[in-house]
Amino acid sequence: MTHVLAHPLAGQVLALASPGAMGTGEKVAFWVLGIIALGCAIAMVAARNAMHSALFLVVTMFCLGIFYIIQAGPFIGMAQIIVYTGAIMMLFLFVLMLVGRDVSDSLIETLRGQRTAGILVGLGLAGLLGGGIARALGSIDAKGLEQANATHGGNVPGLAALMFTRYVFAFEVTSALLITAAVGAMILAHVQRNGEKKTQKEQSRERFAEGNHPAPKAGPGVFAHSNSVATPAILPDGTRSARSISPLVEPRELTAEDTRPKDTLTGGGNQ
Amino acid sequence: MNPVLAADITLPHINYGAIAPILILLGMACVGVLAEAFLPRTLRYPVQVLVSLVAQVAGLATIIGLALSNYAKKPTLTAGDALAVDGPGLFLQGAVLVLGIVATLLIAERSVERGGAFVAQAAVTAGSEADAEQARRQPSQTEIFPLSLFALGGMMLFVSANDLLTMFVALEVFSLPLYLMCALARRRRLLSQEAAVKYFLLGAFSSAFFVYGIAMLYGFAGSVKFHDIAVAAISSGKSDLLMFIGLAMLAIGLLFKAAAVPFHVWTPDVYQGAPTPVTALMASCTKVAAFGGILRIFYVAFLDSRWDWRPVIGVIAVLTMVIGAILAVTQTDIKRLLAYSSIANAGYVLTGVLAMQKDGISSSLFYLVTYGFTVLAAFGLVTLVRDQDGEATHLSRWAGLGRKAPVLAGVFTFLMLSFAGIPLTSGFTGKFAVFSAALGGGQTTLVIFGVLSSVLLAFPYLRVVVLMYLQEPAADAPTVAVPGALTSAALAIGAIVTLLLGVWPSVLLDVANSAAQFVG
Repeated sequence: MTHVLAHPLAGQVLALASPGAMGTGEKVAFWVLGIIALGCAIAMVAARNAMHSALFLVVTMFCLGIFYIIQAGPFIGMAQIIVYTGAIMMLFLFVLMLVGRDVSDSLIETLRGQRTAGILVGLGLAGLLGGGIARALGSIDAKGLEQANATHGGNVPGLAALMFTRYVFAFEVTSALLITAAVGAMILAHVQRNGEKKTQKEQSRERFAEGNHPAPKAGPGVFAHSNSVATPAILPDGTRSARSISPLVEPRELTAEDTRPKDTLTGGGNQ
Repeated sequence: MNPVLAADITLPHINYGAIAPILILLGMACVGVLAEAFLPRTLRYPVQVLVSLVAQVAGLATIIGLALSNYAKKPTLTAGDALAVDGPGLFLQGAVLVLGIVATLLIAERSVERGGAFVAQAAVTAGSEADAEQARRQPSQTEIFPLSLFALGGMMLFVSANDLLTMFVALEVFSLPLYLMCALARRRRLLSQEAAVKYFLLGAFSSAFFVYGIAMLYGFAGSVKFHDIAVAAISSGKSDLLMFIGLAMLAIGLLFKAAAVPFHVWTPDVYQGAPTPVTALMASCTKVAAFGGILRIFYVAFLDSRWDWRPVIGVIAVLTMVIGAILAVTQTDIKRLLAYSSIANAGYVLTGVLAMQKDGISSSLFYLVTYGFTVLAAFGLVTLVRDQDGEATHLSRWAGLGRKAPVLAGVFTFLMLSFAGIPLTSGFTGKFAVFSAALGGGQTTLVIFGVLSSVLLAFPYLRVVVLMYLQEPAADAPTVAVPGALTSAALAIGAIVTLLLGVWPSVLLDVANSAAQFVG
């Protein structure tokens, strides 16, 4: 949370530090988008529905992208908008849709007072960082990117120069990260099917094969004293049907108390 | 577009020989991924074990070669000053690999648990029929080997990174495979998946702090190179505040990986939930890597500002030692006990680091290796005590093991004595080294707390020993599996090194001493 919050803060401090370098248009854009970005960042954390959170995050990241462009970093700005806002967040929305958009976070606090404490500590940290950065940058004249962009004849060539000279190794090693991510996604998501899937015809034949009951299985608890999923159904001949309960559920012997006729018409109870 | 553009970019010189160990590991990890894609299922396990061990042995041989060809004495920077090839870097890389080889032996074991300690298909819903079926019949998946190679390669890069950006990429390269490997336990899969999600979320959070710190330090020094930050700390006209915010954020990211209090909360859950061989890898290799990064940042970038931050990190060291020891006393699960003990041990290494002089470096390096071998053997033994649900990790289940399995109980007792710091074990020599370095560096308070916490920490260790020998075994006591060749080798190496470094520490201490010079 502080991470998202601190961007506009830092930007604000920078902007205040060098008022001469900031045109009216930039100021207007900053204040309008800054408020939107901050508001959406807070709303992202506060929203109960994961879908809303994701959409708020899209708006925040879009605003940040425009900030980058305003601050003479068009490449990173466009990358933010196209790659993060456009591609990654849309993928994220797809995943949320697949998981089910009705799934919202459980709001039960397992530790009492955790949320309040979290908000207080978060605000404290944000205040500490914001105050510290404001003090530290108060005396600094922001240079902007003009000179750095001019060295290699533009913003993108300048980035390329850095990426392929000083940071070439870090850039190359990122490939290890991408391979790991791809392998990890495979491991965690891919299930190998053993053998061919049965066709409907084969399933139907199996159902009517010799020695198989074609009728639906008896439900758990049918004709039994209890309708618990752990109670096997009693077939007309008095035997218990193992087919009626899930193999994952342990069949349970009923106690005398369980099997006692319960007078449900008069309200039940002990007498 | 500028037509002369291509001319004014010159690729920096990359000394491929000097960074060969890292390239071997990462390259062989890619070979492992390809093997996974193209080999038939039956061939994958032997090929992956071979690729994994060959990569690590070749990497280790290259490191020894580099150390002998005087890179340790005449350190160099390469790849545009992004990587440092110096004594501590080579020592730590070697330590990561030596411990990694032993951990790989544990990971590759397939006879203790039939089919290995890892799930066959992690995507199958835990607890379903298909899951029970695959737990019974199918062997472990083999992607674990390339993943562990990526993790080890990332750790080696992490300890030799010379700027913050490279260090951050390396941090992610070694973290991401670890998050994945945590989720792959064959038994108690929900616990394992919970551990992975916890580790992943908190790890991502700590990485965010790390990046934030990088931004602050870049704002302060105008560069992310350690040397430039060190220069800016002396000569920059900017407010120091920016530097200290940056340092604090960096420290959060690093101390999280090293499991120091108050950034330790993930450790017991993750150590308990992860498959035990992966826990062994994390407790030994990750600790080496995290402290490698901490050493380099503190000793290269922030050496001159140490008077300002040393008290703060000192408080963290004390908290880590004391809280780790106190919480270890209350544990009833052997894996959680070892997790809290690893937290306390992070505090001991931090004590050595804070000596802020040459023997601080060498003693920390020495301690990391001694602790790594002991903890590998300890977790290796934990994999052997089993009942029908897998590993029996609850302490009460260990009652009376001394009668059922005298050899196992004997080795475990020896390792516990080493953790407790009894003489003639490497635990004693390691603690002696870090505490005497800290005394030499004027950190008497830290040493007092360190000694007190080791006394406290001896209690849970000795309680396990008492439990094993002086209590009657329960009727349904767990059996002790006969270790396969790979686990036996890992246990033997761990125990022998623990003994060797206890009676003859100078064999490694001399190497660490001659390596303890960072290049800036």
